[in-house]
Amino acid sequence: MYRIRFHGRGGQGMKTASRILGKAFFLEGYEVQDAPRYGAERRGAPMFAYVRASKEQINERGIIRHPGLVVVADESLIAVPAAGVMQALRSDSILLINSMEKTKLWQDRLNFKGRIIALTQSPSGKGWDEMRFIGAICAGGAARLAGVIQETTLTLAINEELAHLGSDVVQTNLEMALTAFNELKNDTGIVKEGKPVRADDYRPPSWIELSWEDPKLSAPAIHAAATSEKLITGQWRTMRPVIDYSRCNRCWWLCSTFCPDGAIHLDKERYPQIDYNHCKGCLICLAQCPPHAVSAVAEPVAEAQKREGE
Amino acid sequence: MISAFQRLKDLPSSHILGSGTPMCAGCGGLEALHEIYDIIGEKNVIVNAAGCMTLLSIYPFTPFRGSWLYTAMASAPAGAQGVRDALDILQKKGEIDTAEDLEVLVLTGDGSANGMGLSSTSAAIDRNLDFFYVCYDNEGYGNTGQQYSAATPHAARTATSRGVHGYPGYKKDLFAIWAAHRPEYVATAVGAEPLDLARKIEKAKKMKGPRLIIVLSPCPTGWGYDPQESVEIGRLAVKTGIWPLKEYEDGKVVHTKISRPRLPVEEYLSRQERFQHLFRPQRDEQLLAEIQNRVDAYWQAIEGR
Repeated sequence: MYRIRFHGRGGQGMKTASRILGKAFFLEGYEVQDAPRYGAERRGAPMFAYVRASKEQINERGIIRHPGLVVVADESLIAVPAAGVMQALRSDSILLINSMEKTKLWQDRLNFKGRIIALTQSPSGKGWDEMRFIGAICAGGAARLAGVIQETTLTLAINEELAHLGSDVVQTNLEMALTAFNELKNDTGIVKEGKPVRADDYRPPSWIELSWEDPKLSAPAIHAAATSEKLITGQWRTMRPVIDYSRCNRCWWLCSTFCPDGAIHLDKERYPQIDYNHCKGCLICLAQCPPHAVSAVAEPVAEAQKREGE
Repeated sequence: MISAFQRLKDLPSSHILGSGTPMCAGCGGLEALHEIYDIIGEKNVIVNAAGCMTLLSIYPFTPFRGSWLYTAMASAPAGAQGVRDALDILQKKGEIDTAEDLEVLVLTGDGSANGMGLSSTSAAIDRNLDFFYVCYDNEGYGNTGQQYSAATPHAARTATSRGVHGYPGYKKDLFAIWAAHRPEYVATAVGAEPLDLARKIEKAKKMKGPRLIIVLSPCPTGWGYDPQESVEIGRLAVKTGIWPLKEYEDGKVVHTKISRPRLPVEEYLSRQERFQHLFRPQRDEQLLAEIQNRVDAYWQAIEGR
């Protein structure tokens, strides 16, 4: 049985990727499950979707514990424990990461024994605009690595799954998916089918018995203010707003009042400063700044610029 | 009373609501909440009915600087009654100083405010409960994927109104329903008009009794637009006359910002995915005219022309 997990952020199209791949497997004669799993249902939140495909009847339910392939649309998720990207990977699992970084770097970073493939999200070199098509790109890559899906089947699956978006959207997604599909030609079929999981193999978790406690102790009370600031929501960001201080009028109230997250504060000279640990990259500041002093820089580009500057 | 908020420069320049919340990027509700919190301050107990904003406080994290209580969807105003009573009793017994008294603030979405929670709100107003109510109205059950609520506008497409004409119902006039109870204060607001919002909170803060505010909360996720357009969408809701900014006190309704001339409703609708079926594949002239006519009729009744 093929067990494949797609990790992304809400809005990036991982549910769509799982549907495309599931449909393609189905058209190849497989029995298929595909389903998304959300935490809080919102754009930018970590989510995953999974696909099971088998020639036999599928009796497994729920999330995939031991995937043969994990596809990661957004590399920033790897550092987020709650996203669970690396969860239960085995040494024979394949990790396909959409990243501008090289495969070697990911091998060093993750100390992962299995095979890692970094797939640039911009297979045709058109840059960050192509993030919109990352779902199709991931589906195309996964289809190739599974190795049992023909190009014509993948094409048909994309046509069927995206038909409601109109022929132009279908065409561009198709091109992107097939570019990824062809780019990984040398790795056709490297994802292996996993063995069926039997009920006899189930081991219950090692529960810890907790004794009764007075509610004053055991109730989840928070005794400090604004502890949410410990959460680094800056990791959600794909585009970074950057203020050009030579153009900033120090009107201050606009960007700082409208920023939903209160992530813009004033320094001593009353210039706005963006708290990049918490800025989610909504870019309301960019849209509202009267002298257009805010510009958006793609996050990896901004990181690279920062490294060069240091 | 002369407002301390005469110009935009009078708005608070530092913010007290903690960042790091799990709300969506570009959340119009969070934008309004942080503007409100700056003015209302931290001396309050927030009673939160189930909705997007119950995700604000997930143990052990909270953006608030005071207490927060989570209730079921229908019962936030009842929870507020309990908190208010407890505070009063503790003061009467001398266990807390009157200077340490706290404001009780109910925070719910439009699903709770217009639907399940309406009965307990009505009862709380009947009892003249001294509380604040902030409803963040994103016109649907946003936290679960934007199913329609009683606050969903006519023709909007939601997860549960997928037909060619969108939601067949009409947005409930919660302002009028609340005002009909003759509470101390009722207002509408939007985060995109922070000065208007600040004045209303400032005014309500000085009153006693039931004070209720509905803030329109543009929702990039549920309404379908780029998060950076949240403020623009909120502003267009006011400029097209779709979201009238008004307040009720002493039996009278006053409109606090009247757009002249009003922009055509299309300027607001066409920017959002949830109304795209009114424009593509072909324009739905009948529905567009109906929406425009309803807005025009509202303002005609207000302005007498």
